[in-house]
Amino acid sequence: MRTRFVAAAAVTAATALALGGCAGAAGQPSGATGPSAGEKVQLTLWTGFTGGDRPAYEGLVKAFNESHPNIQVTMEVQPWDTIAQKLPAAWATGQGPDLATPNFDPNILAQYLKTNSLLPITKTGTGEGQVDSDHLAPAAIKAFTQDGKLYAVPANVATLQLYYNKKLFEKAGIANPPATVDEFRADAQKLTGNGVYGLSLADHETIQMWPILQWLDGSDIVDASNCSVLNTPEAIQSLSVWSKLVIDKNAPAGLSGAESDSLFSAGKAAMQLNGPWAAAGYKDAGIDLGVAAVPTGANGAVTLASTVPLSVSAKTKYPDQAQEFLAWWTGKEAQKQFALASGFPPVRTDLGDDPQLKANDVVAKFAAALPSARLYLPGVPNATKVDAEVYVPLIGQITRGADVTKSVTDATAKLNQLTGCSK
Amino acid sequence: MTASPVGAPVETRVAPRRRLHGARRAWLRDRAAWLFAAPSLLIIAVFIIWPIVQSFRYSLYDWTVGASEQQWVGLDNYVQLLHDDLFWNSLWVTLVFAVLSVSLQLVLGYAAASALQAETWLAKAVRSVYFFPTIVALATIGMVWRFLLDPSIGLVAGITKTFGGTPIGWLQDPDLALPTVIFVNVWKNVGFTMVILLAGLKGIPGHLYEAARIDGADGFRLTRHVTLPSLRPTLLLAGMMLTINSLQVFDLVYVMTTGGPLNRTDTLVNMLYREGFQYFNQGYASAIAWVLFLIILGASALQLRLMRYNDVD
Repeated sequence: MRTRFVAAAAVTAATALALGGCAGAAGQPSGATGPSAGEKVQLTLWTGFTGGDRPAYEGLVKAFNESHPNIQVTMEVQPWDTIAQKLPAAWATGQGPDLATPNFDPNILAQYLKTNSLLPITKTGTGEGQVDSDHLAPAAIKAFTQDGKLYAVPANVATLQLYYNKKLFEKAGIANPPATVDEFRADAQKLTGNGVYGLSLADHETIQMWPILQWLDGSDIVDASNCSVLNTPEAIQSLSVWSKLVIDKNAPAGLSGAESDSLFSAGKAAMQLNGPWAAAGYKDAGIDLGVAAVPTGANGAVTLASTVPLSVSAKTKYPDQAQEFLAWWTGKEAQKQFALASGFPPVRTDLGDDPQLKANDVVAKFAAALPSARLYLPGVPNATKVDAEVYVPLIGQITRGADVTKSVTDATAKLNQLTGCSK
Repeated sequence: MTASPVGAPVETRVAPRRRLHGARRAWLRDRAAWLFAAPSLLIIAVFIIWPIVQSFRYSLYDWTVGASEQQWVGLDNYVQLLHDDLFWNSLWVTLVFAVLSVSLQLVLGYAAASALQAETWLAKAVRSVYFFPTIVALATIGMVWRFLLDPSIGLVAGITKTFGGTPIGWLQDPDLALPTVIFVNVWKNVGFTMVILLAGLKGIPGHLYEAARIDGADGFRLTRHVTLPSLRPTLLLAGMMLTINSLQVFDLVYVMTTGGPLNRTDTLVNMLYREGFQYFNQGYASAIAWVLFLIILGASALQLRLMRYNDVD
């Protein structure tokens, strides 16, 4: 009897702890007293930048601290899952960091707005210490604005570009990276063989690549009223063509983002759609790397943009200093430093003519794609669920040979239910 | 107490004092015990009992961490669960995982324990090798196997290719992913089962076998009528621990497949994690936790019943 009870209790404890225990897991308090003249303000910042781009962010924080003798920012880098587990409780209960990047998915902000955890950014304008929101990536600003109030600035903005393995292109006798979507598909087929995939694709645990493939053919996932357009003839046609490429083994099926990256870095895939964070790792792996614009599609140039929101806790003791940090982070000087260190395009729209940035090949290419870049499911209700329970399974099914028409019909029903489409 | 005639009134006066004395002694003794137990009890109360109670409360709300007001929904979360295809899928995956894992672990663990009973250096060395995966964290094992089984760059695929075969996407194929995860789980835990059963086997008195042999029992009958009955408490312990662990499986699945492909390895705790920490539906996730609790309670009760735990032989 006792064994049974103890065992059963332990189970619930494990699960319950996972759910309830987070209330105690708040971060460090940001300082015991309010600021007074001459006192050094301590701010904490949680981010999930664990990747190859981490030193570039650390460089930014260091430069800020050196140029701001009265404000000291401490950045704590932790995995995105950890932030997702700790931050909601930490912020909602008024503990935790003054600043944080809650997730790499901008759609997460809605969750924090529900608990009034985000400070509206009011110090906007072009002056010293003000967030110059008019000159920040418009798609990001739009995604971070709710009811006319701005709740985050972009910590970064990235676009996906076409990475290609020059050696494999040479072997296949292809001189240049594909310029159009038809060439893209033809090259993917031509490059396949001898244990090499033409295109390395991921369909889960990744910044989505599949929307780009759909956009290239002029089709889409949702329309302006958040209703599914996956079941339109154009979308069915496009998904059929791309999934056939996978079924024919020109691209692998069912890989996660990390697996797709390993494939490319092992020289076993000739092309991949990826962001600037991947470049350093591929070069380290000895890949003769080329970066090109995503081929032009039916409606011209298009690619996917991703942006990480950087927000202030609504309960921070130092709202002014925290906003000053955001203003500095998104300022010209910091963004130039960050772009050169990381290869990311600057989050500002007015640095295009900077000679140093223009001279940097990687930055220039990723920046050039910004005007035609689109976010994935921006402002769509339940976007996280739409991704995990509709889009990821849909791609998973059709790339394994399921009937496209039937799959999109099911996906459409589920999607419309999640987004509350009223058509 | 069968004293002299005058003893009776004396006794009535003395006995309460004696009882009081006894009670006080008991209290003194118990107080020390309670004091010694207090730190653990406090920790259990705060970190186990309280969260259990709280999670049940959460499951009756549309709970948002930190919100000033929570929306009461009664049993709606549970009703919604019953209509959620993903829940039934997870339940099925979890049960398949548990039944296959536990039976394979017991059978293979018993086989290994019987084969390696001898105290030779070889048997000891092989036992250590079998036990080794048990001491490695499940997440580490998951990552290593995920890498080994990678169809493009993994070792298994490399060997397959060397012999002219086509590499298989063990974790990418919807039909193979769950068997693969079960295999890795069994591989990890079979050494642990072996050690427990080995201890049980060594505890069986030799005279039972002698007596059985005198009665003319052969190899199979010895196993059937001496070894297995004597091993029953040990088998029960191992079976229950493995069942509870299997029903709660999360880290292995999270690291190897995150529930994919196409939810074919999406266990209940993996679903719970997704609902609680990715969709932030804490109430719904708590409801899943309670359903899992009831399932484990039921499974444990069933095992105790089947193994006739309370019977006197």
